[in-house]
Amino acid sequence: MPLDGGGTKVGRNVDFVGARVVDPSLALDGIRTVVVRNGTIAALLDRAPAASDTSARRIDCAGMVLCPGFIDPHVHLREPGDSHKETLATGLTAAAAGGFTAVAAMPNTRPPIDDGQRVRQLLRDSAAVAAVRCYPIGAVTVAREGRALAPLRSMAAAGAVAFSDDGACTTSLKVLFHAALLAADLPMPFLSHCEDPSFAGAVIHEGETSDRLGLPGSPSLSEAAIAARDILVAQTTGKAWHLCHVSAETTIGVLEWARAQGTRVTAEVTPHHLQCNDEMLSSFDARCRVNPPLRSVQDVAAMRVAVRRGTISIFASDHAPHSEEEKEAPLSHASPGFSGLEVAVAATFDALDGLPLATMVANYSTNVAALLGVPGGSLQVGSPADMTALYLDRPWTVDPTLFVSKGRATPFAGRRFKVRPAMTVVGGCVVFNAAAPTQALPAPAGR
Amino acid sequence: MTFQRHFLDLDDAQTPAIESLIARARQFKSGVAHATTRLRGKLVLGMFFEASTRTATSFAAAAYRLGATWHDFGAATSSMSKGETPADTMHTVRAVGADAIVVRHWESGYPHALAPHFHGSILNAGDGSHAHPTQGVLDAMTLVEEFGTLAGRRLIICGDIRHSRVARSSARAAWLLGAKVTLCAPPLLLPQTSPGWGFSELSTVLDDCLPQADALMLLRVQTERGDGTELPPFADLVEGYGLTEERLKLLPDHCIIMHPGPVNRDVEVAASLIRVQRSRIDRQVENGVFVRMAVLERALHHAA
Repeated sequence: MPLDGGGTKVGRNVDFVGARVVDPSLALDGIRTVVVRNGTIAALLDRAPAASDTSARRIDCAGMVLCPGFIDPHVHLREPGDSHKETLATGLTAAAAGGFTAVAAMPNTRPPIDDGQRVRQLLRDSAAVAAVRCYPIGAVTVAREGRALAPLRSMAAAGAVAFSDDGACTTSLKVLFHAALLAADLPMPFLSHCEDPSFAGAVIHEGETSDRLGLPGSPSLSEAAIAARDILVAQTTGKAWHLCHVSAETTIGVLEWARAQGTRVTAEVTPHHLQCNDEMLSSFDARCRVNPPLRSVQDVAAMRVAVRRGTISIFASDHAPHSEEEKEAPLSHASPGFSGLEVAVAATFDALDGLPLATMVANYSTNVAALLGVPGGSLQVGSPADMTALYLDRPWTVDPTLFVSKGRATPFAGRRFKVRPAMTVVGGCVVFNAAAPTQALPAPAGR
Repeated sequence: MTFQRHFLDLDDAQTPAIESLIARARQFKSGVAHATTRLRGKLVLGMFFEASTRTATSFAAAAYRLGATWHDFGAATSSMSKGETPADTMHTVRAVGADAIVVRHWESGYPHALAPHFHGSILNAGDGSHAHPTQGVLDAMTLVEEFGTLAGRRLIICGDIRHSRVARSSARAAWLLGAKVTLCAPPLLLPQTSPGWGFSELSTVLDDCLPQADALMLLRVQTERGDGTELPPFADLVEGYGLTEERLKLLPDHCIIMHPGPVNRDVEVAASLIRVQRSRIDRQVENGVFVRMAVLERALHHAA
């Protein structure tokens, strides 16, 4: 595939014919032909052009729903530093297989993404190995240690789309406040991982299951209190703010309060927090350890309601791959996180069956593009031809051994889902096609 | 007795299992012919990642009385205490040829993590704040010896409920035999969700509980759990929950006093009360050996 130096893929001329096109940004839901010229949307036609009228390649999309490309605002690609868990190549190929045309990469690599040079390096390295777009998120503090401010303005100039100390919250309120002031005039949002650090030893949600098993738990309060703190920083500084992987019903109350105040704050939820509760750990299942933890049945229900009400308007996989050894019992030994990219879309649609399709698509594309200020999120003429095609009713069973990602831990193994990515198109190029799946990468030695 | 390979906790235990263990333990207590050859040739490894006096000695005595060989693996001082994975640990143990492993670990669920990697028996001697199943059975046995049937009897368990594996196992075992169980502690040391402990009542006022008690079990504060910020100051525990001469007067005359040990003297119980007539603390230790004989036999005799 031809690439230019900046990582943009120069697409060919393609007509995507006969799909049901759903684009919330255009309030569009109908059968259209999407005409792509030089990697850009050139027209949306009611009728397919006659084959004789064009020299463009023609792809039959009958039976598919074609949407603006899905963007995952929260993935861990592990490179540099932890390539035994994932590489840019495996992670971004997994993204394509999961229906994502772009991802935003969290900075908790080794070394972390905490200066402009590392932002540029990640942009270069990712463009060299995969077609899916990779947007760097810069650390808020140097080495994500919560002490010295990272060069937020240099990272913004280098191409960072947001700032976060994800994996931990920025412990010091003073440091976070000053970071927000440093970047107050920049459009890039802050992304908060809301977990009070004093509960860091927890391996499970504090509730019925933790009480029965005698395990140290992290209560919902741990998330909601930091959410409230960070929202107050957003209000005080005027900075755009986003809460990562909201999991607790209590946090939804805080969010609703913030909205009522007119605060610029958005929130994301993961498929596992929409689907799974702490009972999955009732036999000490270390593979189900994740941060924030799987919470109660009631919290799961509250997440679904929050999406229906629009309090949560963004989906994220929180793709956090680990090696098999790192997910082994006991719980204190197991690394938190799931391999999410290749099952996220199916699991999310399954959790929210009945929600308008336009809302589902917006939460995976239009709203994410708006949050991060990146291209895409729309099929408007002139936009990059980044598109996700789905089958809405093509039942399949999750088999982690078939994942492209090196991470195999998922709470959805063996689950049967209806929705399945059909095709992923970046800059007019088909980078994944379910009919002819991406060739599996060679397995690393020892697997 | 039905063979059961592992003995990990009482979370899913049913009444007949507790009853048959107690019945067998009582047989051992009154004398069983040829008991000392029941487990001849079996190797039982003690793997105590956390200090233990009572339980380790008790298991060792039980193994000895059944003719098995007991060996302490020295887990706490071995390289295994330094982050080796359960799978690695079990490779070592398999190579030694052990038939059963008696495990104590500071982490809840650790014996459960070992179980899939071992062909023999895993017997839980206490995992974190989760379970201490042999203690649960020996406490139930002590109650049965005292009262016969436990139906309608009330057991008060007082102290650091939240961090106590003994509370979890002993409360459930007594409840399975028909006892009413009240867990008493300041709110900080009670489970946060009562539905998860649906078999028991929660109380924060010990003085209200005492007049109804048939048995009062006192627990020590688990200062080794967490980072210390989960625990109330000792003064608050003595004030509201320590068994003093004054509080003793609130107990019915027939009420017995139990404690799984070790005792923090003058915190949960006044030093002067540890050996009073109604104390069953030494009886608990004595019964522990017989219960562990029953557990070892159930796990190992099938292949003897």
